[in-house]
Amino acid sequence: MSGLRLVLKAPLEARLDCTGLLPAALSGLSEAAAERRVLPYGTSRAALGDLFTVTRGASAALVISGDARLDFVGAGLGAGEILVDGPIGAGGGWGMTGGRLVVRGAAGDDLAAGLAGGRIEVSGAAGARLGGPLPGARTGMRDGLVKVGGGTGPLAGVRQRGGLILIAGDAGERAAEGMIAGTLAVAGGIGPRAGRGMRRGSLLLGRAPDLVPDGFASCGAADFVMLLLIARRVPELAAAFGGGLSGRAERLVGDRLSGGEGEILVLS
Amino acid sequence: MSGAPDLVLNGVCVRDGFAEAFPMAATRLLVTADTARWALTAARSMTGFATSVIGCGCEAAIERELAPAETPDGRPGVAVLVFAMSLKDLKKVVPLRVGQSVLTCPTTACYAGIESGPSIPLGRALRYFGDGHQVSKRLAGKRIWRIPVMEGEFVCDETTGAVPAAVGGGNFLILARSRAAALAGAEAAVEAMAQVHGAVMPFPGGVVRSGSKVGSKYPGLIASTNGAYCPTLRAVTPTALPPEAESVLEIVVDGLSEAAVAASMRAGIAAVCDLGAEAGILAVDAGNYGGTLGPFHFHLHAIMGGAP
Repeated sequence: MSGLRLVLKAPLEARLDCTGLLPAALSGLSEAAAERRVLPYGTSRAALGDLFTVTRGASAALVISGDARLDFVGAGLGAGEILVDGPIGAGGGWGMTGGRLVVRGAAGDDLAAGLAGGRIEVSGAAGARLGGPLPGARTGMRDGLVKVGGGTGPLAGVRQRGGLILIAGDAGERAAEGMIAGTLAVAGGIGPRAGRGMRRGSLLLGRAPDLVPDGFASCGAADFVMLLLIARRVPELAAAFGGGLSGRAERLVGDRLSGGEGEILVLS
Repeated sequence: MSGAPDLVLNGVCVRDGFAEAFPMAATRLLVTADTARWALTAARSMTGFATSVIGCGCEAAIERELAPAETPDGRPGVAVLVFAMSLKDLKKVVPLRVGQSVLTCPTTACYAGIESGPSIPLGRALRYFGDGHQVSKRLAGKRIWRIPVMEGEFVCDETTGAVPAAVGGGNFLILARSRAAALAGAEAAVEAMAQVHGAVMPFPGGVVRSGSKVGSKYPGLIASTNGAYCPTLRAVTPTALPPEAESVLEIVVDGLSEAAVAASMRAGIAAVCDLGAEAGILAVDAGNYGGTLGPFHFHLHAIMGGAP
């Protein structure tokens, strides 16, 4: 059965909480029934039909026209696909466990917070705390893949517990802060104070940081078979660094100030 | 022997016998290294002293060499098959051999060669060598381990899959006019059988000169020389040899499936028969225990007729 297509009638005037707007929840609903679904909108609520024109799409995916005030798009997604034509607001892909969220535009803060599976692709930039924890949680994303075509705000990969984040552009300050495990790859530049409090996990950098972060010590350069393996098993990661990985990198270990043994690999 | 007429191929008599094989558990490992030389070195070391479960705990051999394009990390590699009598034995022997022969070998890495079936530990067991500095990484749904070593890092998958219903002990015997003719026949067979994927010949060079029978006159020995095929005993024991036979060599085959063993045996016997009677090959026979030991019976006539 083909999915629904939600086209905004006009730019949103307040923030729309899209929690629950998922392919599984809408499957089997007629266009009219979908239009009657009510979502939190600003300080009140609005029916989907008041904001969107709902039609039956050509593909199985749920297609939504983008707006920077669309919050929590794909939150809790477990299966299926959501395509957003344009930007989204905060909390995109919160707590996703599977499926695919594709954003043809930028994403706001807290993208992929608490991600437990599935993949998120954002063609533009992303805001702060990419892949970080859900409110009250001790750890950030623990599985899945997030791909950001642009740069990110501060605290990308904060307390990341697993999974893979690919950032094609620059990452803001304090990336990988408190990282526990997983991989954060940044093809562009990295902001100051990266890896602070890092316990384990890998921060892959396409270029060396301006300053070696406090608490990190260089183990020198070496050839890493693991990088050759990643290049084959995760071609997207290799592509983010220009299509190939030589396998050679400088390894910085830290944050030793907090007894951590995470690593920053600066690729050659 | 059923008394059916013998099949004669290029002057070589293919006897109406059958090879009797038994179930085993098996896995495939992919060993890579910076160069093919070191991948082969590790694979040979890992599959050393693995001719027979009777004395070695497992049977293992190189399945084939792998081009860089075929390996997980894009380096030259070797596919290895390991067989044991049970999954429990396989779980014990694989980490032991990888730990002693691959982890120790310069530049190597070790990956799963089978993705399905029960899990056999690789990095899951070997990671402790890293003394707390080992690093795990889960990418594309698979967990790998990076174990720091003096040379750099040893990388391996956490586990490899297994085939619980593999087949061990497929075999055939080459009866020849001379030792040289038997050896030439065995070499031709092994070369042809190496082209069949999913099956290996675990004995030295793929060939056994000391085929065995079950039991012995000495208590405690579970196998002893197969007198019926020993040319120098034909006057003192019941013999299965024609008068002109001076030497016999055996090829033993283990495979991931019954079909793989049959295909391997077919390729080997065909290669032997291609040499023909003119090369001194007299007959091809097979070893069995009367059909009471193993559930897999590979009838030579059926195999050479194309039906496994």
